[in-house]
Amino acid sequence: MSPDVLIGLTQSTGLMVLLSTGIGVTIGLIVGMIPGLTISTGIIVLLPVTFVLPADISIALLLGLYVGGMTGGSFSAVLLNIPGTPSASATAMDGYPMAARGEAGRALGIAITASFIGGMVSFLFLFLLAPLLANVALEFRTEDMFAVVFFGLTIICSFAAKSLIKGLLSAAIGLAIITIGQDPVMGTQRFTFGQVNLMAGVHFLTAMIGLFAIPQLVTNLTDGTGSASRVQTRLTSVLPKLSDLKAIRRSVSIGSLTGAFLGILPGAGGPIAAFISYDYARKASKRPDEFGTGVVEGVAAPESANNAVTGGALIPMMTLGIPGDPVTAILIGALIIHGLAPGPLMFLERADFAYGLIFSFLWANIFNFIIALAALRLLVKILATPRALLMPTVAVLCVIGSFALRNNFFDVYVMLFFGLIGLAMRWLDMPVVPLLLALVLGSQLEENLRVALTSSQGDISIFFTSPISLGFLILSFLSIVWSLRSARRANRVASPSRKETPP
Amino acid sequence: MRHRNIIAAVVLLVIALGYGALTTQLPIRSLPDTPGPPFFPWVNTAILLALSLSLLVQGLRGTATEDSGQTITPSDRGQRRLAVWALVAFVAYLVVLPGLGFLIATTPFFAVLMVLFGEKRRLWVAIGSIAMTTFLYLLFRHGFSVFLPRGILPDLVSGIFA
Repeated sequence: MSPDVLIGLTQSTGLMVLLSTGIGVTIGLIVGMIPGLTISTGIIVLLPVTFVLPADISIALLLGLYVGGMTGGSFSAVLLNIPGTPSASATAMDGYPMAARGEAGRALGIAITASFIGGMVSFLFLFLLAPLLANVALEFRTEDMFAVVFFGLTIICSFAAKSLIKGLLSAAIGLAIITIGQDPVMGTQRFTFGQVNLMAGVHFLTAMIGLFAIPQLVTNLTDGTGSASRVQTRLTSVLPKLSDLKAIRRSVSIGSLTGAFLGILPGAGGPIAAFISYDYARKASKRPDEFGTGVVEGVAAPESANNAVTGGALIPMMTLGIPGDPVTAILIGALIIHGLAPGPLMFLERADFAYGLIFSFLWANIFNFIIALAALRLLVKILATPRALLMPTVAVLCVIGSFALRNNFFDVYVMLFFGLIGLAMRWLDMPVVPLLLALVLGSQLEENLRVALTSSQGDISIFFTSPISLGFLILSFLSIVWSLRSARRANRVASPSRKETPP
Repeated sequence: MRHRNIIAAVVLLVIALGYGALTTQLPIRSLPDTPGPPFFPWVNTAILLALSLSLLVQGLRGTATEDSGQTITPSDRGQRRLAVWALVAFVAYLVVLPGLGFLIATTPFFAVLMVLFGEKRRLWVAIGSIAMTTFLYLLFRHGFSVFLPRGILPDLVSGIFA
């Protein structure tokens, strides 16, 4: 075994790292289960706390939140028929009918177990594939990296299923915003209007808080989400029986493998993986007609898939520096804040940290299983937390978060500005995620494009003569077509199945 | 949605033109046949213009029926009013925050949000807003070394006890 693997394992088992993983998982379970609080919002709100912590502890905390959030989403999906996160939407289709029959504990036990198995499968994917892919990526030149970043941006299309024009416009706005400040090649000031605070550009964190959290708060205010009082907190038989474990073997295998694979592809994400796995599990089942009426396979497939997505999504993040989903886009930002650039060089220069991160992901899944099962009865009571206390706290945390970045009120006003942009985009039904991705990847895209064109003296054929670049450009095209098709397919699966779910 | 698309397309067209105009003023510092600092903004300008025009065409070609079925009920109006009040409170809070300081500015803001989010018990509003604001201040200032502004509070306290 490589010494870096052992160092990474040792780092991830440090007391503080393990403690922060456990805390992250607990916060994630809570954030995930509360309708109206997404995993992205949870991580954004928690990010300022990590500024003063060492990188390994911070990332362990955020990874714990990511993993816990995916499982937590199933709690409200099962108990309230309101998915805590979009990834848990498919879980509600069979989870809620089970709860309605008085089998809420059984459904949640299956959901937690399936999440654990999905997470462990995706850990194996991450542990085995990431170092190999990083080794290959070390050979990439600027034109190849441009094509890789472009490939990463194709995630946009899966968030633009309703209107491709609006999705692309959202990304174009993001690309325009990243041109504010110093240009990444020559350091020339662009669009700063003499404003000192703009010289370093718009920090993506302040933009992200505004874009995600402010519209979410307004939505919670207008549609009444954010907590629920009608919670069934009496749970019995949480530990899955052997017969149930046997029954979910096939659906968990389908969900875990589908989720881990789809997680690697930019744009797929938890919701799509969950619906596709549900669809596959239904087709592979001996009793497909019973799906939607409350069967354990219908809970296990989407839950194993959405947790398997997490490890899969970390693979392109760690090896290529491109996010697999919006949460990993935020994690890239968190790593950059701590002076670590995700990408192939991470495995070369900070292999100990890279393996530490992979093992923290393992611990996060183990803690998630233990904490969710052990504290389930206590955790579901949090669902009844009054939103009148919860939502103002989130609002104040947004202000503190944007201020804490540089101890500067300018960032707070930037956050408000982006909040208003986020509200306008919601009014227009324009997706926010493409803008976020453009903010995270835009500078890399410009830098690699310009350096590649400078080296070829303006000849764009450089992108088509390099086999790696050409390969990624073809993959980008396929990813666009596939993302749009699978997003529409997931919508189709969700629509008829929803009708079968009792209100 | 059709009218919204047209409004958005026009606004984005204006933004794209303004962005293009500002791009013309950027210094061209580059070698021949190589892209300089204005290169990427020019690419963006072209993309923004093309997409805004596409959205405008889509909006103009859309049928009026796309807007039907969106009847606004009195309850919708009430909820929108709540959202507007929350935004007004948020802006006012951010304006007074640097001067008044975190504790004095946040407590009433928190209380207003609690009321807007449906809390009707005055005592709960008072206790909740003061307790949560103080907790967050102490947590971030002393726990995470985020130097949230003290504002006028130290002067007030020293004035009272002077």
